[in-house]
Formats: sequence, structure tokens, C-alpha cells
Amino acid sequence: MEQFFQQLTNGLAVGGIYALIALGYTMVYGVMKLINFAHGDLFTWGGYLGLTLLTSFLLQDRLGVLAGVGVLALMVMGLVGLMGVLLERAAYRPLREAPRLSAVVSALGASIFLQNALMLLYGAQFQVYPDGILPQGSVDVFGLRIPVVRILVLLASLVMMAVLYLFVQKTKIGTAIRAAAIDQGAARLMGIDVNRVVSIVFLIGPALGGSAGLLVGLYYGQVNFTMGWVYGMKAFTAAILGGIGNIPGAMVGGLLLGVVEALGAAYLSIAWKDAIAFCVLILILIVRPTGLLGERVAEKV
Amino acid sequence: MKCRRLSLSKENRMKTRMGLAMALCLLAGGPARAADTIKIGLMAPLTGSWASEGQEMKKNVELLAKEQNAKGGVLGKKIEVVTEDDGGDPRTASLAAQRLTTKGVVAVIGTYGSAVTEATQNIYDEAGIIQVANGSTAVRLTEKGLKYFFRTCPRDDEQGKVGAAAVQKMGARRIALLHDNSAYSKGLADEIDAILKAKRANVVFFDALTPKEQDYSAILTKLKAAKPDVVFFTGYYPEAGLLLKQKKQMGWNVPFIGGDAINNPDLVKIAGKDAAAGFEFLSPPVPADLDTPEAKAYLADYKRTYGGAPASIYGVLAGDGFRVVVKAIEGGKSTKADAIRNYLVNGLKNFPGFTGKISFNQKGDRVGELYRVYVVDKAGNFVMKK
Amino acid sequence: MDRKLLAAYGAAALLLALAPRFLDAYWVDVLDNVGLYALLALSLNLILGDAGLFNMGQAAFYAVGAYTAAILSTRLGLPVLYALPLAGLAAAAFAAVVARPVLHLRGDYLLIVTVGLGEIVRIALVNDVFGLTGGANGIFGIPRPILFGHKVKRPEDFLYLIWGFVAVTVFLFHRLEQSRFGRALNYLREDPVAAEGSGVDTVRYKLMAFVLGAAWAGMAGSIYAAKMTIISPESFGFWESVILFLIVILGGSGSIPGVLLGAALVVGLPELFRGFATARMLVFGLVMMVMMVVRRQGLLPLRRVRFKAADVARAERERAAARPAPARAEVSP
Repeated sequence: MEQFFQQLTNGLAVGGIYALIALGYTMVYGVMKLINFAHGDLFTWGGYLGLTLLTSFLLQDRLGVLAGVGVLALMVMGLVGLMGVLLERAAYRPLREAPRLSAVVSALGASIFLQNALMLLYGAQFQVYPDGILPQGSVDVFGLRIPVVRILVLLASLVMMAVLYLFVQKTKIGTAIRAAAIDQGAARLMGIDVNRVVSIVFLIGPALGGSAGLLVGLYYGQVNFTMGWVYGMKAFTAAILGGIGNIPGAMVGGLLLGVVEALGAAYLSIAWKDAIAFCVLILILIVRPTGLLGERVAEKV
Repeated sequence: MKCRRLSLSKENRMKTRMGLAMALCLLAGGPARAADTIKIGLMAPLTGSWASEGQEMKKNVELLAKEQNAKGGVLGKKIEVVTEDDGGDPRTASLAAQRLTTKGVVAVIGTYGSAVTEATQNIYDEAGIIQVANGSTAVRLTEKGLKYFFRTCPRDDEQGKVGAAAVQKMGARRIALLHDNSAYSKGLADEIDAILKAKRANVVFFDALTPKEQDYSAILTKLKAAKPDVVFFTGYYPEAGLLLKQKKQMGWNVPFIGGDAINNPDLVKIAGKDAAAGFEFLSPPVPADLDTPEAKAYLADYKRTYGGAPASIYGVLAGDGFRVVVKAIEGGKSTKADAIRNYLVNGLKNFPGFTGKISFNQKGDRVGELYRVYVVDKAGNFVMKK
Repeated sequence: MDRKLLAAYGAAALLLALAPRFLDAYWVDVLDNVGLYALLALSLNLILGDAGLFNMGQAAFYAVGAYTAAILSTRLGLPVLYALPLAGLAAAAFAAVVARPVLHLRGDYLLIVTVGLGEIVRIALVNDVFGLTGGANGIFGIPRPILFGHKVKRPEDFLYLIWGFVAVTVFLFHRLEQSRFGRALNYLREDPVAAEGSGVDTVRYKLMAFVLGAAWAGMAGSIYAAKMTIISPESFGFWESVILFLIVILGGSGSIPGVLLGAALVVGLPELFRGFATARMLVFGLVMMVMMVVRRQGLLPLRRVRFKAADVARAERERAAARPAPARAEVSP
């Protein structure tokens, strides 16, 4: 029983990161109806840029840990968000009127390009974050030992999620995003600048993904250039699981997938862990393509 | 319509051009020059995930060739090293091997990964070229009865024996084995498992993690529930570092021990000094611990040339492979594969290699024990356990 | 088949037949690899190009074929060429089982599902499923094929075997293109709703394309197994599927000569510029993006223009498709 609850917390920590990345997929899909395959790689870029900024500015020494990491996170989010906007301009906007396959192939190409650019810039070896930036201790909760970092990771993803939700629901730009998600043509007629909405979506989604990359780097202390693929696939599964296009759905899907993986590893087999996640993805698409909280996505043709 | 014709002829043009280019290559690099030098091939992972090992192999072999040529070469001829990249992947390697066989090499040094070597063994054997692998430890490579295959590294069953002994020496009753499902790691775990079971030791856990992930807490939690006295992880250092770090975060104090793929200073960077301290692993001696006079002189040369000590023992093992081949050519006074093989198996006894004395048995395996047990100290250094 | 294309095929065949006279073993081996990828890409082209199904798990069928041949030849001593049709059958059966439930998924979702399928197959192989696949070690000691009493082992032997098979495939697939089946697929890809409306059983045709494509990949897999004599899971990873996808897209989706050219460029070109090896995937990624923006239809696109009327209809359809489709999901609970 102790193992069960411990695995639950393990799963929630990983799930928080999945959820954060899943938000990017969900936002972009909601507005563009496009699976941004490059999203996982933007996440990796977040991890690498975070490392470079961390070691070149040493913000945590100058500003203290809290402010230092905060400023670092903002810088990473800004840069990766900018990459997202540029990516949309270069690889997706010219294809807005093209058949669906074109945008998908372009997204895949972008993913391969971004990943290999990292490899050429930093080398194929994984990169190591400086040790001991985040607090190392752990707390006992009902007899379970939970590292403080893990609680911070989960909190950080919850806060970002809440902020995003409020932004989309309560602000004027958020309303425009929702309008464009429902019907781009109608939104345009209502005087909404759809191009601007798309740019904003491609700013926010990748920025969140980048922040997840930074979190992974700080938490696990190690990033490698191929990690975006697995995290991306898992996060995408999470987005589908929760219902794509749906912000709380991404949260629920991420946490749930993390827990399913941890429990699967514990009670079925560790070696088949990834296969379990992919089975979840395939089953959910076959059985309930709407996801848990979403609307219908997989159209029958 | 127009476009189609254009492109098709383009395709043809390209093919002709390719053919022409190749014909030219053949003319230029034809066998005319081959008589002046003795060519020794080096097949190494210069790119891909093992690129650092491959670069290291290249440095060692090139330096040794230069030194040998300064001494007048071998059999009165200069040695020319022909390097090909195997990319650390079997398919690229089989192409690299094809390429080397066409370049008139008498022997090939390499390579690192077992599966990669395996994909090339038949090609060299059929072409009658000696192959001396430097990092391929899979048992079966020398169990196929290939005549021209040798290796300077030990076999996995050798390491399995040393590993099982080390675990038992620690007095562990409940033993957990964790591998990463790669051919090397699974093979080593199987070896240790078989030996321990034969000795009626209690293996309470045997499973694989997925390499290149970041979060191993689910695996550690499951391991912990099996209550082992020691955990033997047979995988590579990036995962080992994360396991150690996350084990410490969990506040779990079980000792970990690892195989020779852990021998890399980055382990401590990933795990952090506190978490890595006390971790033990098996390895051939690290370059700094090579203590024969030949090795010391060579390490000094190496440092002078490249400005630092060799980073990996497998590079030095490639160097030893190069040296035994040169020795065999000298000893047998021939560059014929059969003569070289004959000398390596029957003539070469206790050759003073950098990594210890070298002799080969009929299978092409190196005779003698090479493994040591290393432990990470508080400052993060790897110290040989006496 | 028009005359110019025939002449081009003839010239290519002649060059290939003479290649071992001019090229050394290495370059012949490169040509072998090009041929193997051409076969695989042609098999994917049936699914992706002709039927328009985004399959990025072709390596899974390739793997099933290679492993079937390897298991039959090492365990039962069946000559590896006899195992070839069985490998194709095994891959086809596997495709029929896994593809049926996912066929109705729309483009990009099908792509994700096939990626997942490919990964599941790879993980199953690594974990030594049924105790038959040898785990990460894979299967070794696969015997070389024997053809007309001649042992196929040198690269030039394989050149004739592989390219002979490519030639047969090209012939058959050109015939298929013109058959009722081929036309139905064409229709289905261009406008699934209209196709269904005019009595094309879309599910059945999609499934047939999938099964046939898988069967061909499986047969290519058995040739690969025979050539390498060792197979292991890492040869059937996600990147293999990506490269096959790229060959089809780059060459011209649905176009047989295009796919052949794609294979030559994607597999052969990096060998000409060895220094470019590390940047290979970077360039591929860039090419995929640029191609989609600049030349969406591929280098040697399928020639679709046959009737003036169809031309008009297509233009109309494109205009219709250009209007944004009504959205269904939204960013809100």
C-alpha cells in the first residue's frame, strides 16, 4: 500500500510536466486544428536555453534563488515563445490554405530540424545542469517522503495552468482566441485579427512548453536533445486523453497519464512502460476520441 | 509533362555523374600505391551517440601509427591508417566495412558497440581481413568460429564473473539486477543472474528501465519495495547518475554497483558528489591507473600530443589492438591474414600492452583478467579498490 | 505507361545491371541500400500516396516481415527466399488486425496512432516478445539466400536480387495504378465523400491498401534480414518510418518514378557527401518544411491532369477546401 501511494506521487510529478507541455498542443490545436509536432522540440529548446542562460548569467547568485529562477523562467519563456511565433510564420502560415497533409509534413520537418539543430549546436551528449539550485530536502506527508522540488514542480504547473485558464476566459484577447477557435471566418467578420490571435497562441503555447523544459532541467539536472520526442508524444497523449482543445482537460490528462504510467511500471512491467502509454493513446482514440472532458475530435470521413 | 521529362533526365544525369565520379575514385585510389604502404583500417563511431568514444579511438590509433612510422614503419614500409565512420549503427557500419574492404587494408581495428561489430564480422571474414575489436564485449562474437576476429576487450561473461563475485563479497543476501534492455546491458545482467542463481543467491528483482528518460522514481520505488541489500545496474552512466540522484532524494540508502559502461566522469556531474559517493563499478583500469612502463611512456606522449590524458580506456584498447597487429605483421613477416592470425594465436604470448599483458586464445578472445572494482570517493574521483 | 517513362526505366535498369562492372563493392552496397529503401518507400506509397493514409509506422510492418523471415530460417531451417512470401503474409495479417480499428481516424490522428503502433512493435521486439525475437540482441546467423544454386552473398549478388524485386514491384504497381483498385484509391484520396457517394467501399479499399503495402514492406524486410544476416530492433525504429515518409513526400506522393528518385536522393546522396552525415537529418527537416511551402507535390509529382473537366472540378474543390472548415473544438471547457 505504501508503494501505491508513493507511486501515485511519482506519477503526479511526471504528470505535472506532461500537463504543462500538453497545454501547448491543446491551445494550438484549438485554434489552428493542427498538431504542432515541433512542440516537443520547443520544449527541449527550453531546457537547453535555460542551461545556457543559467551558466552564462548566474542569475541565482546575483538575485537569489527565487528571483533568479523566476527571471530565468521569464527569459526562457520569452525566447521559446518567440521561436514559436517565428516557426508559425515560416512553416505554418504559408500552408494555412493548403491541404492538411502539407502542414503536418511541415510540422514534422520543423521537429526534425529543431532537434538536430540542437545536436549540432550542443553536441550529441546530454547536457548537465549545475547541481543544487533548487532546494534538495524532502518532507514527510502521511509517512510518504516527498522531495520539495517535486511539490514545487507540481505547484508551478498548476499555477501556470490557472493563469492561462483565467487569461483565456476573462481577458479580451482570451475571448478573441475562443472566438477564433470556434470559427475563424466568423471571427474575422467580427473584426478579430485572426493572424494576431494565431501569433499569440504560438507565443503562449511554446512559452509554456519552454518553461516545462526549464523545469525538467532544474529538477532532473540533465537534458538531452532527443527528449522532446518522448515528452512530446506523452504530452500529446495527455492532451487527447483529457480532450484536445480543452485547457482543464490537458491538466487532467497529464496528471492521469503520469499516474497510469507509474502504476503500470509498478504493477505490470517497467520495460513496457512506454508501450502502456501508447496503448492508452490508441485506445482512447478508438474508443472515446473526444477524450475525458473534450468534444468530438476524430471525424469519421 | 515537360516537368516530368526534365526531372527524369535529371535522375539519369545524376546516375551517370555518380558512376563517373566513382570510376574516377577507383582510378585515383587504385592499387598502384598500395604496394608502398601497409594499410590498417580503423572503423570507429565518429558520429552518433558514441562519437566521443570513436574520436578517442582515432586519436590513439593515429598517434601510435605516427610513432611507428617514425621508427621506420613495419617491414620497411610506412603504415597508413584508413579511417571509416560506423556511426554507432549496424547499417552504417556494414557500409563502412564494405568501403574498407575495397581499400586494400590488411587489418581493421574496431569497433566499440557489439551489435555494430557483429554487422561487419562476416564482411571482413569473407574478405579475409583481420578484425580486432576494442569495445565489443558480447560473448557470442567469438563463439561463431570466425577465423580472423580478435578483440582486446574482455567478454561480458568475464565481467559477469567479476560482478557476481563483487556482489557476494559485499555480503548481500537479497540482490536486485536492473538493466536498460540494450544488448550489452541485458547480456551482462543475464550473465550475473545465471552465476548468482547457480550459487543459490537470492535475486529478488530483475527488470529493465527505459534509457534516456529523466524520471526513474517509479522504478526506484518498485525496487525499494523488493527490499534488496544491493542493486546492480548494468546500464550506462547517464541513467546511473539519475538513479543515484533520485535514490538520494527518496532518502534510500541501499548500495548501488554498476558495470563498465558507467566509467565516465559525467556520472558525478549528473548525480552530484553527495549522491555518487560510495558508488562502486567494475571497469578495466582507467587510463590514469595503467602502470606498466610502456603505458606510462605512452600516456606522456599522448599528453604531449593532445594536451590531456586519454578520456576512455576503449581508445587505449584500440591502441593496443593496433600494436598487436603491427607486432604480428613484424613477427610473421607477412601481411597475409592467415600469417597474422597464426602469429596472434600462437606466436604472441604476454605481449606488454598498455592495458596489461596480451595473449589470445583460439577463439580470438584476450586471455587473462582485466576488470577492477572502482569506487567513487567523496570528492567525486574514481578510485581503484584494492 | 508512356514511352518516355519506359525509356527512362530501361536506361536505369541498364545502368544498374552494369554497375558492378564500374563500381567497387562499397558503391554497389550503397545501391543495394537505395534499392531496399525504394522497395519500402514503394510499399508506403501505396498507403500514403495512393490511399492518402498518413502512415508513419511502416517500419513496424517491415520489422514483422524481417523477424518472420529470420525466425523461420533460423528456427525451422526454411531457406530465406522461401520465407519471403510468408514474411509478406505475416506482415499483411498483422496490418489487417491493427489497421482495421484505426482506419476511420482523420489524417493527423492516424499518423499519431501509427507512430504509437511502430513504437509498441519496437518495444515488444526489445522485450523479446513470445521468447522469439531475441530481445535487444535481435536474431543473428540468418543464412544467406540461395538462388538457382548460387549463394547470394556479395553486394553485387544482392544488387541483382534487390533491384530485380524492385523491377517486378514497379511493374506490378504501375499495373495496379491503372486497375479498378488503383482508380478507386485515387478517387478516395482526392475526395472521400464523393467516392463513398459513388459507391466506393472506402473502408474496404483503405484496408486493402494498408494490407498490400504492409505485405510488400514485409517482403522487403525478409530481403533485409537475408542481406544483413543479423537483425535487431534498433533497425526498425521511428526514424526508419520518418525516412520512408520523407522519401515518398520528397519524390512525389503517389508517383512511382518520384518515389524511386526520392530513395536515390535520401539514401544515396548522403553517401556521396560523407562530411554531411551529421547534418543529414537537419537538412532533411529543412527540406520537408521548404518543400511543403515551395513544391508541395514533390519532385516528380503524380500527373493527375487527364481531362479538362476534371481540371475544372479539381480547381473547384481546391477553392472549397481553401475556405476554413467549421471548427468543432474550442479552447474552453
